Amino acid sequence: MSDGLKRRDFFKVLGAGGAGATVAGCSTGEIERLIPYVTPPEEITPGVATWYASTCGECSSGCGVRVRTREGRAVMIEGNPDHPVSKGGLCSRGVSALQGLYNPDRLATPLRAGPNGFEPIGWDEASALLAERLSAGGRPLFLTGTRGPTEQMLLGELAGSLNGQHVIHDALDDAALREAVNIAFGVSALPRYDIAAARFLVSFGADFLETWISPVTFAADFASMHGVDHGEKGRFVFVGPRLSLTGQNADEWIPAQAGSEAAIALALAGELVRRGGDAGPYTDMVARYSLEDAAEAAGVEAEALGALADHFAAGDALALGPGLAGQHTGATAANLAVLILNVAAGSLGRTMHVDAAPDAGASAYGAMGDAIADMEAGEYGVAVVSGTNPAYSLPSGSGFGEAYAGVPFKVAFATALDETSSLADLVLPDAHPLESWGDSMPAPGTYAVRQPAMRPLPMFDSRPMADVLLDTARRMGNDLGAGTFHEYLRGAFDLWLTRNGEAAGVVGDPNALWRTALRTGSVSYADATPSIDALQSPTTAVSFDAPDIGGDGELTLLVYPSPRFGDGTHANRPWLQELPDPVSKIMWHAWVEMNPATVERMGLREGDIVTVATAAGSVEVPVWAYPGIREDAVAIAMGGGHTDYGQYANGNGVNPMGLLNGASDAHSGAVALVSTRATVTATGAWRRLTTNEGSEVQDDRNVTPAVALAALGHAGEEADHEAEDGHGQLRELQEGGGFRTVDTEGRAEDFPLPGSDFGTYGEDHPRWAMAMDLDKCTGCGACITACQAENNIPWVGEMQATMGREMHWMRLERYYETVDASHSGPVDIRFLPMLCQHCNNAPCEPVCPVFAAYHTPDGLNAQAYNRCVGTRYCANNCPYKVRVFNWYRYTREIPEPMNWQFNPDVTVRDNGVMEKCTFCVQRIREAGNRAAVEGREVRDGEVYTACQSVCPSDVISFGNIKDHDSQVAALAEDERTYRVLDALINTQPAVHYLKKVTFHDVEGGGH
Amino acid sequence: MTTAELRQQRGTLPNPDVGTYEAVNRDVLKVLSRPGKGWWILFGMAATGVAVFLACWFWQIYKGIGVSGLNAPVGWGVYITTFVFWVGIAHSGTLISAILFLFRAPWRQAIYRASEAMTVFAVMTAGLFPLIHVGRVWHAYWLIPYPNSRFLWPNFRSPLVWDVFAITTYFTVSAVFFYLGTIPDLAAARDQARGLRKKFYQIISLGWRGTDREWHHFSKAYIYLAALATPLVLSVHSVVSWDFAMAIVPGWHTTIFAPYFVAGAIFSGVGLVITLAVPMRKFFGLEDYLTVKHFEAMAKLCLLTSSIVLYAYLTEYFLAWYSGEPPERGSFWNRVFGHYWWANWIMLTCNGFVPLMLWFKRVRRSIAALFVISIFINIGMWFERYVIIVTSLSHEYEPWAWGLYRPSVIEMGILLGSFAWFGFWFLLFTRLLPPVAIAEMKEVVPPPMRGSEEAAT
Repeated sequence: MSDGLKRRDFFKVLGAGGAGATVAGCSTGEIERLIPYVTPPEEITPGVATWYASTCGECSSGCGVRVRTREGRAVMIEGNPDHPVSKGGLCSRGVSALQGLYNPDRLATPLRAGPNGFEPIGWDEASALLAERLSAGGRPLFLTGTRGPTEQMLLGELAGSLNGQHVIHDALDDAALREAVNIAFGVSALPRYDIAAARFLVSFGADFLETWISPVTFAADFASMHGVDHGEKGRFVFVGPRLSLTGQNADEWIPAQAGSEAAIALALAGELVRRGGDAGPYTDMVARYSLEDAAEAAGVEAEALGALADHFAAGDALALGPGLAGQHTGATAANLAVLILNVAAGSLGRTMHVDAAPDAGASAYGAMGDAIADMEAGEYGVAVVSGTNPAYSLPSGSGFGEAYAGVPFKVAFATALDETSSLADLVLPDAHPLESWGDSMPAPGTYAVRQPAMRPLPMFDSRPMADVLLDTARRMGNDLGAGTFHEYLRGAFDLWLTRNGEAAGVVGDPNALWRTALRTGSVSYADATPSIDALQSPTTAVSFDAPDIGGDGELTLLVYPSPRFGDGTHANRPWLQELPDPVSKIMWHAWVEMNPATVERMGLREGDIVTVATAAGSVEVPVWAYPGIREDAVAIAMGGGHTDYGQYANGNGVNPMGLLNGASDAHSGAVALVSTRATVTATGAWRRLTTNEGSEVQDDRNVTPAVALAALGHAGEEADHEAEDGHGQLRELQEGGGFRTVDTEGRAEDFPLPGSDFGTYGEDHPRWAMAMDLDKCTGCGACITACQAENNIPWVGEMQATMGREMHWMRLERYYETVDASHSGPVDIRFLPMLCQHCNNAPCEPVCPVFAAYHTPDGLNAQAYNRCVGTRYCANNCPYKVRVFNWYRYTREIPEPMNWQFNPDVTVRDNGVMEKCTFCVQRIREAGNRAAVEGREVRDGEVYTACQSVCPSDVISFGNIKDHDSQVAALAEDERTYRVLDALINTQPAVHYLKKVTFHDVEGGGH
Repeated sequence: MTTAELRQQRGTLPNPDVGTYEAVNRDVLKVLSRPGKGWWILFGMAATGVAVFLACWFWQIYKGIGVSGLNAPVGWGVYITTFVFWVGIAHSGTLISAILFLFRAPWRQAIYRASEAMTVFAVMTAGLFPLIHVGRVWHAYWLIPYPNSRFLWPNFRSPLVWDVFAITTYFTVSAVFFYLGTIPDLAAARDQARGLRKKFYQIISLGWRGTDREWHHFSKAYIYLAALATPLVLSVHSVVSWDFAMAIVPGWHTTIFAPYFVAGAIFSGVGLVITLAVPMRKFFGLEDYLTVKHFEAMAKLCLLTSSIVLYAYLTEYFLAWYSGEPPERGSFWNRVFGHYWWANWIMLTCNGFVPLMLWFKRVRRSIAALFVISIFINIGMWFERYVIIVTSLSHEYEPWAWGLYRPSVIEMGILLGSFAWFGFWFLLFTRLLPPVAIAEMKEVVPPPMRGSEEAAT
């Protein structure tokens, strides 16, 4: 018991931030003399990592994370496998929270706007000022992004006590869907989609693998639905004008015109009704829609829609709404049409669930519009803004800027200045989510806690907003019953337990339950909220006519959320800036996507800088030719073009919100991201795109072969065929010259190869190997960011990246096989995560003149940085091109405190040496040491790599291939398994890829 | 015996105007007298170039190899191109002095000193490039096997280690061979010099007196060294070619590389000998010693090696097609029609097509035409290595990893600076050492005999 109390105290101090000095090693005072731990702080052993389960605060999804800390500093974030919703996955944005935490642009002190810009002031002064203005300044408006339920409760309580208003504005919230659910089912909530339960999935443009609602959860579900299992896999069709990353994962693409989603969905519903389906009160209405009319409106083939209807009729189908990528002035109608389709297909209650209680999401967009109007009318004396950036993320026509400027006293809680907070009169440095308490309800039945993983960074004098608000309330004589937000949170938890614990099946000692929640990251409980099982009669007249897309020009402008930056919140993070966009593979700068045919028709080339103009504004941006977009559309991602956000975001890219005219969805008030046409004119300038794409096609190399679903199970025939042309079997180079045919195909018992002297693996050593299931890989790129975080990989900046010098140890290759925007049909885009293959017969090793590249006894291709002279011969001789060179002192250019994130278990490389993927050797050694101390073998699954630790789709398996019972050994024997280029050059890689499985016939199923 | 008869008997080529030992001494040693304005201008340019060269290099060491245009996948570029270029240049010197000496080819006497000097300076230039090229030059000595407490040796399987041996051996042998050959001439220079210069020549001529016994030893040593140097001509550039051929890069991994590189090396070396000999002959008034016949002989050597090189190019294309392997085919298709098509066509034109003009005797005997062609050869042979290195690396197995490379200003500075560095030493050579082998020239001049003056006229 005493142990538990100490532990709780420890967390309290962490959360309170700066109150105590339990963690002696993190003292913020000046250190005069180094004193070793005499009494080491509990839970901190120097050299041993401490992990904290927590909740990701980067978007409203609330994924579970595990934060790895070393000596009191967070160094890595991984997905939490115990989390019931995100299931161990995480996205690049989630991992990049570390760069939000250690961002050099974070605020160091409170700031007050003066005549000469901001002046730093102390917290005492700032708190007094805030309390004074809140109590005497008139009605307050609290404008925040999506916060945890308890923090939202606090804000609501505070706003209520001050006669103010709390408005939640989240630029990525699907307000139109929420409104459509409201119309269809009478509840303001987002539906819960169970993609894993579907066998047929249609997305009408929703980028559910990128930003929509909960992409990590969806990616996991999509992998289990779409990944081949015992010869079966679900089918996914993408309907929309542009293939997002989600669309690239589709089996079929119906390149429907923007704005035609409602027509198609209703026509499909109508077809299902004609076949006996039931769309409740909408049955008669949908029956009037025909597939032919819809096909006409969408500019696609009626047969393709007919085939869709067949699949829907077969059951277990799920249709996903247009999402933000398809958000136009008829967005609510389109979402409603998709909901009706799901009901008509019998999906409600099977693959789509609607709870009869409102969820804790954002306020309706209408509330934001009302808030703007009220601000304009002078209703509010004080505006407190936090976690949202409407000055950037709303179109220029929204009027936010003018209205906000008119508020007499504006307060911003922010970790770093952004476009909105820099307009404030008082800026208070907020603690980062990794430094503060919070919670989340990612799904009914799950309550997740966010606990601070470390004390607030000493160089930034930040305080969590909730703590400051509680303190301010106390100063104003309004005690909300807790001194700190941690107490408030505990109070709310205990209160919930007392009231609902029994009903929810969560009973026991509150302290013990709380500790369990902290240890595992979440509490699961029985959710009693009933589900809705039928559509309600429409109370609002909704027009399903195609939305009006006005403006001059012939190209529809599609503005879509960026998979890397979302609405732009994550733009000030160099990892994300340098992460190749999953679709375009472009880093750092913006681009406009145009179909190659359109590019050619306009006499342009890729890289030509064009002016994209609408009535609202214009941007200059280079062209990227993309076969995955309709010929009559152009697309620009949100998130770029920041003017006041930080050194990595400012000036990079363009903000397409300036091109939008402020039109909004008729019912929800959501910003219409697809609302206008644009004209594209050449400026005459050209730039080299900053991309890592060397070729968009495989050029007969067949590095990512696929296999048709129908051909699965016939691998034997295929192998015979391969043997005929001499490419099927491995030929091993003999010591005395010449080749010998070896029958391996990567079976575990083949390692080491008989008579092989390549790599001196002793009998008693493991042979580490990896398997990657390309049928599950969605190309999201989370692995790249995780690898970068784990392995101290620097970013190099736009200029260096343009030269081809990015340092990623891992890259995601994306090859087009079949992409055609001119008509409906199969789409086949292959992803290949490429990292060091740790070849048995590694070409890099013999050419190194100084043995810097050598083979470890457990089969790794090691690179001894200190021995490297930098001849770069190994990189030349690496057929996979996975070795990267330190052309400059990249790691030394990383500013304080971003270098605090460095993983102490991994060498920080300096100028002039080669580096590459190590299979996370530090994790292998850590597990090996642990096993040795405990006197046992390393268990299968005990070692997992950084890339594996975040992959939401469970693509990656890692283990000892000599252990016949290991997962990787089993996967190496799968009939889909192949090894890249092995048949050609006998490198015998340790990375085994499992071929993608297609529904259409593919050539070169072998390799 | 008349001079004409003597010449016929020995197959020698000097101009009939050179009749006496005195004339040889006078004509050659006058080169070593006070330099003229032109020399100082050239020397000033070379010294400036060396300064630029060093400045670029030090900047690169200070900042990092990133100041070059190298990247992934093109990790080798102008530096290695220039390295191979200079190693190639170095080859003709030994060929002309050692192999032709062993084969008693008489036309070598007039040019071999200059070409040997060229060899030594070219190796001195080439040897810098691996150092310039590596990421951590301060650790470059790790490539040398030396006893150390960690028992760490270099990787003897790596062609780069072979390279270290090849280049150092070649430099040692060619420098010794060069120096040995100059000793009698240095003595001749000593005999005419005064003051400090005399002291200098006294020391470096090692007290040569020209006694019978000395000549006896000298000839023995010279022939042994020639025999030692001869295989190096073939081996060194073969080893350099294995830097590429031993790698699995498509476009590099071919068995033809060794002979192809040796032929190319001789081709480029002879080309540069012509380029240097033409102005040297002009400025120093050595027309009587470096005659049209010498140039014609070199032109024939160029023609032969050019044909071998062109044959090698065509063989590579054929075998790439014949292999049927997409990466191999892609690599060569990319060479001819890809982003670097222009470099490949410069190579083919300069090395393959322009030298075809040498089939015409009139061209072979025209100093001006040869000079122009030799410039083409120099350019073409530099581009040959650029094409092999850069286009192959930019277009390997993995399509996603294809990339482009553009040399940076620093790399161009170092490339041009390397010519200045070479020129710097060569200009010093022309002033400090007799640029034509006095002693060997005397072998082909009628010995001073009683009545020989009359006989000669």
